[in-house]
Amino acid sequence: MSSSKPPKGHFTILYFASAGSFTGKQSEHLAAPLPLRKLFETLEGKYEGMKAHVLDHSLVTINLNYVDMPEPGQEQEEGEKEPVVIKEGDEVAIIPPVSSG
Amino acid sequence: MAQYTDRALTEEEMERYSRQMIVPGMGKDAQLRLINSKVLIIGAGGLGCPAAQYIAGAGVGTIGIVDGDVVEISNLHRQVGHSTTRVGMMKVDSLITHLKGLNPLPSYIPHLTHLTPHNAADIISQYDLVLDCTDNPATRYLISDVCVLLEKPLVSAASVQASGQLTVLNCPPVPQGITSILGVTHPLPPCYRCCFPKPPPPSAMTTCGEAGIVGTVVGMMGIAQAGEAIKILAKGHHRADILNDPPHEPTFPPSLLIYSYDLEKGPSSATFRSVRMAGRRKTCFACGDNSPQNLTLEGIQKGTPNYDQFCSLPSAKVTLPMEDRISASTYKDILAGTQSEPEQKILQGILIDTREKEHFSFGAIPGAINVPFGKLLTAAAIAKREKQNGQEGREISKETYERLSSVLPREILDQEEDKKDKESEPPIFVVCRRGHDSQEAVEKLREMGLDRGGKRKIVDIIGGMKAWKEEIDPSFPFI
Repeated sequence: MSSSKPPKGHFTILYFASAGSFTGKQSEHLAAPLPLRKLFETLEGKYEGMKAHVLDHSLVTINLNYVDMPEPGQEQEEGEKEPVVIKEGDEVAIIPPVSSG
Repeated sequence: MAQYTDRALTEEEMERYSRQMIVPGMGKDAQLRLINSKVLIIGAGGLGCPAAQYIAGAGVGTIGIVDGDVVEISNLHRQVGHSTTRVGMMKVDSLITHLKGLNPLPSYIPHLTHLTPHNAADIISQYDLVLDCTDNPATRYLISDVCVLLEKPLVSAASVQASGQLTVLNCPPVPQGITSILGVTHPLPPCYRCCFPKPPPPSAMTTCGEAGIVGTVVGMMGIAQAGEAIKILAKGHHRADILNDPPHEPTFPPSLLIYSYDLEKGPSSATFRSVRMAGRRKTCFACGDNSPQNLTLEGIQKGTPNYDQFCSLPSAKVTLPMEDRISASTYKDILAGTQSEPEQKILQGILIDTREKEHFSFGAIPGAINVPFGKLLTAAAIAKREKQNGQEGREISKETYERLSSVLPREILDQEEDKKDKESEPPIFVVCRRGHDSQEAVEKLREMGLDRGGKRKIVDIIGGMKAWKEEIDPSFPFI
């Protein structure tokens, strides 16, 4: 899976395995910045049903590093570390588990 | 754990393993560690065959293989440890036959069974390292859980269609429930549940039989899996005591290797990506802080957790009432105009086939229009969004129509002028491969307003093209 450089104000998102079949594409560019906690909501708005079918059991990386998805509804508490924001030029990947062999 | 025994290599071993032993980093000690190791390969299929060949070739001394299936001809494009002459034989026996030809020195131990919660601990406990070469989520969680409890390193690979994944888990093994070790600053090794705490819903589960698989992709993953296992054993990375050795930097940042191959793209477009994973999760069900309360060997044997249930959590699957479904034979009668009750005659209408275009390319019911299920879902999402943007009412607006027509064939969207004010319009029939997607498709088409407020029937064909083959046309090329 290769990805072209995102245009200004965008990040690249890669869809692996069933994420690719669900969206019908392997990658695309989305508007940045985007708080990580808004990522699933944004994708669900674009691809109805994606949360239950793909996102809820997938792992997410930003620039090849695993990131913990914030729990839904969990507001940032004082003293907690800064919430993760996806920045312009970042590469995000949606990686569902593959089970067959 | 295999004891390191110092001895001279035999003349045969010297000759057989010479080319790998002189590679930098190997040498005599590493080869002896391989010879004294016991590896368990679970699954003798697309991953297990290539993995076993290299594990055997490299001289691992004891190789156990677990599988309860027999060789089928549809396995052979990827399961290269079997052969056409061994179709019908137990896969384990077939693969061991092949491996003995490759290298007669190792001891091969057949386990002619599927791995189950009942036998898993008994089998896994006999080995130093496990290769997960299985094909379903329930077994993957079972293997990982037992490896945590028995403190065995696990090399896990998987592949479907044109994607592959590989990760090393639980290596070096750390006792269950320990999530930090004094003086160890790097993350402790994760288990499968740390990486994927929730299983995919059954609807997202694509098996090789259902979704297809490229032989070279799964083969590549199996070989890479053997490579990791050989490295771990040859270098002793699986020794748990490595964590106590100063200077406390023995572990490797956990990572997941992803191989992507794409038949739709030009040559040289396949990619490998390695992503950095998190370590052991404090909240992990199997290895986290409170895990000993959740998971024990006795519990697993008695059926807790229930792996089948865990991996078949309620899905969003639609089940249509029977009046919205017809059998393959009824559809045939509709096509031929030979319905038994002419007063309830159903018009011919349109037939949508929601299988992937590759399946469709082998044959379809005459007149069927191919709209792959994914495309149909995309169309449904477009329609829904338009509705939320203020396009109320059952009728489709002009703008929505334009957007939908880029995804759906016009025959489905268009309304014949002379039928416009009639009480009923020709129905839409939906057929898929086995009768699951078609039910959801019926729902989605209705949500899109294509039932024209109830004037147009939308029904699915029970059992899909599989039923068509079984009931109507035995010669139909169903795959």
